[in-house]
Amino acid sequence: MTHAQAQDSRVEWEGALVQRACAGDTRAFERLYREHAGRVYGLCLRMTRDAQLAEDCTQDTFINAWRALAKFQTRSSLSTWLHRIAVNVSLARRRKSPPVVESAPEGEERLANDWTLETPVEVHEIESAIGALPDGARDALVLHALYGYSHGEAAQMLGIAEGTCKAQLHRARKLLRERLGVEVN
Amino acid sequence: MTQPPDAEGRKVSSLRELPQAIEPARDLWPHIEARLSQIRAGATAANARAPLPASQRAARRGWLAAAAMVACVAVGVWIGRSLLPGAVYGSADGAASTTGASALDAVYVSDPRYARQRAALLRSLPAHLAALPPPARAKVTASLAALRKAKYDLESELGKDPGNALLQELLVNTYQDEMRVLTDVRDASDAGRGI
Amino acid sequence: MGMARRVSVALWLLGASAAVYATSDRTFERQVPAQPRGVVDISNVAGSIEVSGWDRQEVSVRGELGAGIERVDVTSEGGRTTIKVVLPQISGRHGEADLHVQIPKDSELDVSAVSADIRVSGVLGVQRLNAVSGDVTSELAGSDVDAKTVSGAVRLKGHGQGARLHVSSVSGDVHLEHGGGDFEASTVSGTLVVSLDSARSIRARSTSGDQRFEAKLARGAMVDATSVSGGLNVRASAEGGYAYEVSTFSGDIRDCFDAKPERTDKYAPGRILQGTRGEGAGHVRLKTMSGDVQLCDRN
Repeated sequence: MTHAQAQDSRVEWEGALVQRACAGDTRAFERLYREHAGRVYGLCLRMTRDAQLAEDCTQDTFINAWRALAKFQTRSSLSTWLHRIAVNVSLARRRKSPPVVESAPEGEERLANDWTLETPVEVHEIESAIGALPDGARDALVLHALYGYSHGEAAQMLGIAEGTCKAQLHRARKLLRERLGVEVN
Repeated sequence: MTQPPDAEGRKVSSLRELPQAIEPARDLWPHIEARLSQIRAGATAANARAPLPASQRAARRGWLAAAAMVACVAVGVWIGRSLLPGAVYGSADGAASTTGASALDAVYVSDPRYARQRAALLRSLPAHLAALPPPARAKVTASLAALRKAKYDLESELGKDPGNALLQELLVNTYQDEMRVLTDVRDASDAGRGI
Repeated sequence: MGMARRVSVALWLLGASAAVYATSDRTFERQVPAQPRGVVDISNVAGSIEVSGWDRQEVSVRGELGAGIERVDVTSEGGRTTIKVVLPQISGRHGEADLHVQIPKDSELDVSAVSADIRVSGVLGVQRLNAVSGDVTSELAGSDVDAKTVSGAVRLKGHGQGARLHVSSVSGDVHLEHGGGDFEASTVSGTLVVSLDSARSIRARSTSGDQRFEAKLARGAMVDATSVSGGLNVRASAEGGYAYEVSTFSGDIRDCFDAKPERTDKYAPGRILQGTRGEGAGHVRLKTMSGDVQLCDRN
């Protein structure tokens, strides 16, 4: 089976579970929960920086998803849909003011493409550095660099302009470089 | 900040190598499942109250089913607590949530059992009340009336606002409390006779 | 005296003494050896049960037994001492016994009563106190206490030591002074008045009973109080502060922090007040349907 075929098969399988869940089958919904809970919790944990809050956000994400299941288009990605809900829930839970809009830096500083590090760094150091980032920079970095969303997708999820999202990623890259002492490419 | 677990020691060369999935320290599904049951119970109650054409009158019985479903969750927590000696609901170390979770899982199918137990306790309630000392009997009767009123008020408001999570939670609490009172009255009247 | 007459006199004498036994008050006294950390189990229907802890390795029972009490059984076996007031197996007979029991202070204590009041002091071990309409009063000493009544009041007094306290009543009022540790209470229509010198967790529930808490919360403490129509009044201070969430369907929300409750829905009743005190390390959640809620700092 090719990757595309595997992907299609997965979408079909999830689509069938979503349909059953829409009809009230909580066992089908549980199957979806088991499949996606880790990625949802990982996102919530990095956005909220608090395990208890991340658990609350994860629970609320799936409960909100259950309520809104009828609106989900089964041919699109359930994972992305759940992440959108998780981002909304995490932002609401944090209840902080909107991220500071930074003007684009002067000169042409390139955006990091792969977010590769000049030298390998221990995971706990990187997670700690990410956790120490200001909220706006951290949100943009987590969605783009860790979860692979495009600038446009990340901006839409966070409710900010794409330019603002790029500016936040600039800031994140600069702060990570300062904190970790290695170049971030 | 709370770090993702198992983060120690391993080195990565790119942020993209960081794990996307992190498992929570405990299983969150039981709590989610309980909330889903409340949502479904509220939706069924709303349907049962709306004016129905003759062909759908049978759906009115949905409220009993919804109440039983809500009570199913309620008795799940109740049975979980009574089956797990030493479990303290609400202790800060989180141990109670883990034990409570497995109780909810085990009890999800106990809906007919709850209905039977409640019916049996209600049938024998007059005899149990009669066995209590008179001052206790009067106070307990007043408490049962308070419970009935609370259920009525909550169900009425849920009929208008079935998705209201606060009211759903309070209704589940009230079902639990009713079962607790009926059981306590039965045990108290047995104690009076047995000694 | 002929045989028949002797028998009838004997029967009359027995009858007379039985009548004396059944109708007059009398005292009772018994001591049995007991293990220092054994279990003591006491049951009585009506009257009172007073238990105090001492340094001796024995259980001492003294009682004033009213008319209608058949006997008091005291047995001690395998680390368990059982004291049971026995009524005659005749319907309609009721009797009262006032028991004064002294037990090794580290004993585990189990007391059951119907309308007898229970009073405990100086006992350092775990206590399980159960009454129907009798009141339950006890001193806390750092061990777990489980107190349950149907209509009797529960009064507990401690010195702020941490323990697991579990109180349940249908219609009895609950008073706790200087508690500490983990506290859980549920009542339908009784009132809860609670002060905690150092709380790790508080879970309280009532249907129509009012709840009043004054608590010093440990860092990261959790408070969860709900009522359908009872009022909630909480005064709290917390090491590390706390995040709070107050929600009510139709009650009033009052707080001392100048925060403004928000509507939860434009088209439906329901208000919520959320905020943070200090670092927000703990969590305080207060919920009612129609009861009013007040949240302030503890002075």
